Amino acid sequence: MKFKVILMGKSKNLTAQAEQVYGFINSNLQDEDATGSTVLLVTKEADPSFALNQAPTDNVERVRVGDYHPETILKGLQKLEAAGDTDLYLFPFGVLADEVAVRWACRINGSSLVQVKSIHRSRTEFQAKKAVYANHVMATFRMTRRPYCISLSKDGIAAASIPIREKASIEEHDLSELHADRPSNSEWMPEEPASDLESARFLVVGGRGMGSAGACRELEKKANSIGADFGASRPVVMSAWAHMHRLVGASGSIAKPDLCIAAAVSGAAAFYVGIANSKKIIAINSDDRAPILKAADVVIVEDYKVIMDALAKVILEAKADEKA
Amino acid sequence: MKILVSFAIEPEIERLVGDDWLVENGLEIDTGFLKPMLNSYDESALAMALKLVQESRNRPNPMVLTAFTIAAKGAGPILRTLNALPFDQIVHVDHRSDIRFAPRTVAAILSQYVQNHAHQDVLILGQQTSIGANAKTPLLVAEMLGWPYIAGVIRIASADSNQLEVICQVAGGRLRQQIETPCVLSIGDAPNTFLRVPTLKDRMHLGQRPITEMPMDLFDLPRETEVLTNLEIIQHRRSAVSLVGQDPEEIAQKLFDQHLKDTAIFRSDLDRR
Repeated sequence: MKFKVILMGKSKNLTAQAEQVYGFINSNLQDEDATGSTVLLVTKEADPSFALNQAPTDNVERVRVGDYHPETILKGLQKLEAAGDTDLYLFPFGVLADEVAVRWACRINGSSLVQVKSIHRSRTEFQAKKAVYANHVMATFRMTRRPYCISLSKDGIAAASIPIREKASIEEHDLSELHADRPSNSEWMPEEPASDLESARFLVVGGRGMGSAGACRELEKKANSIGADFGASRPVVMSAWAHMHRLVGASGSIAKPDLCIAAAVSGAAAFYVGIANSKKIIAINSDDRAPILKAADVVIVEDYKVIMDALAKVILEAKADEKA
Repeated sequence: MKILVSFAIEPEIERLVGDDWLVENGLEIDTGFLKPMLNSYDESALAMALKLVQESRNRPNPMVLTAFTIAAKGAGPILRTLNALPFDQIVHVDHRSDIRFAPRTVAAILSQYVQNHAHQDVLILGQQTSIGANAKTPLLVAEMLGWPYIAGVIRIASADSNQLEVICQVAGGRLRQQIETPCVLSIGDAPNTFLRVPTLKDRMHLGQRPITEMPMDLFDLPRETEVLTNLEIIQHRRSAVSLVGQDPEEIAQKLFDQHLKDTAIFRSDLDRR
């Protein structure tokens, strides 16, 4: 099986994406007949030497394109892949990767799946697994048309560090004439999140049970006062009680803190994937039927507000005692 | 400008707890007893489109809004609610087959409707359903029609007669752009986009208007290229040790003493001192 990894050199998540792809290759494509290379798409603004080290295979095709618009990437792939001898296209996690994987499969008459967690190959079949039913159920699909185009799931795949070593081969392609016709009157509004929830060590997450934007702000303040970052479930951000950057779950941050306190969170599976990698989960919810209570290490069936107030007092007193 | 929103009606699966999650025949999960509801991304799509069209109603060329769904039994109350809000037209394709994991089928029906039955300028779809979670249907529609595609849309406003202004949430920020029609818009996590509840008067008058029913056999259905072979419940279980006490203060103290103070976070605070 011949596979190709497609990476965008300018992606803000390049390292995380590449390490996850490398982990995926290690656990899914290690048999003798699997040979892979990386198509690394760069623009003149990107740092090619840094990006090159992130390639998860020893053979690399470094391709300079005009921009990272999906149409540009698709046109680039069309030029590069005229031979049609690739069996599997492997895209990293992310919205752009999902889009290109599906559209590329359409254009080359292949099959596609996005947010894939693992694959299984036999002589006659290619199967891939992904979460469905809002992350309650794992589905296996038989992909019926080669080439297979898949993008990876952001959660559930162990990343692996890529050893820095000289690449066996580096092919250079200049397709910088390729670019998309962007609307002339577009405006880019960059947003820097106040904190990176994916690297937080101590996280407090608030759910719909908080009841109001005011209660949400109070819990955020309380979390910060005890040294925790603050995240929110999807119903909370959809009600605009918290900024979208605070979203924890399948469509937001996948956190892996040492300690996570889930306050007034029901624990829908799509939310839970965002905290599933926590070392310890403490759930506080007054509803004793909330699913989070079976998926936590410690459960407290009480009003989250009174418990958080009391806990903050205990933690702050303990810190004050230590100082004294 | 003609705008069509395609939406899915799904069972309220978050009502299923614990042992309710049961796979039958390897491929089915019984959700027949659950209340049908709008997919949340699609509700955002419907709410955004309705606001856009209502704002255009006092202009010389008001927009025309169609809500389109491929749904089985149980869709009636939701369709009547949308009729009452009001949408200009509700189109219901009655299906009897399993389309949970059939994005090519859904995309083919939608694109054939636009090509052969009622031309549209803008198609708006939620980015994915909860059950199928394929995140492919809007992309496949755009490919089948050969239309431009915009992902992660969180706001839509009218610009010129054949232009829309859209804001998309993408990695690292937001992109505001004016786009030409025709186009396909995929709605992402768009805060504060909920459908209002129609008044009783609107339910009585507008809600009773006829719904356009279309049988499946009007459409040429493709074969899916990904075939479901197995479903397996994902277990999310931990030890769930219950912590109780006389009052919140006692519970908080127990929580700190038994479960927090020896964790790496509080230990490292201690080490630093």
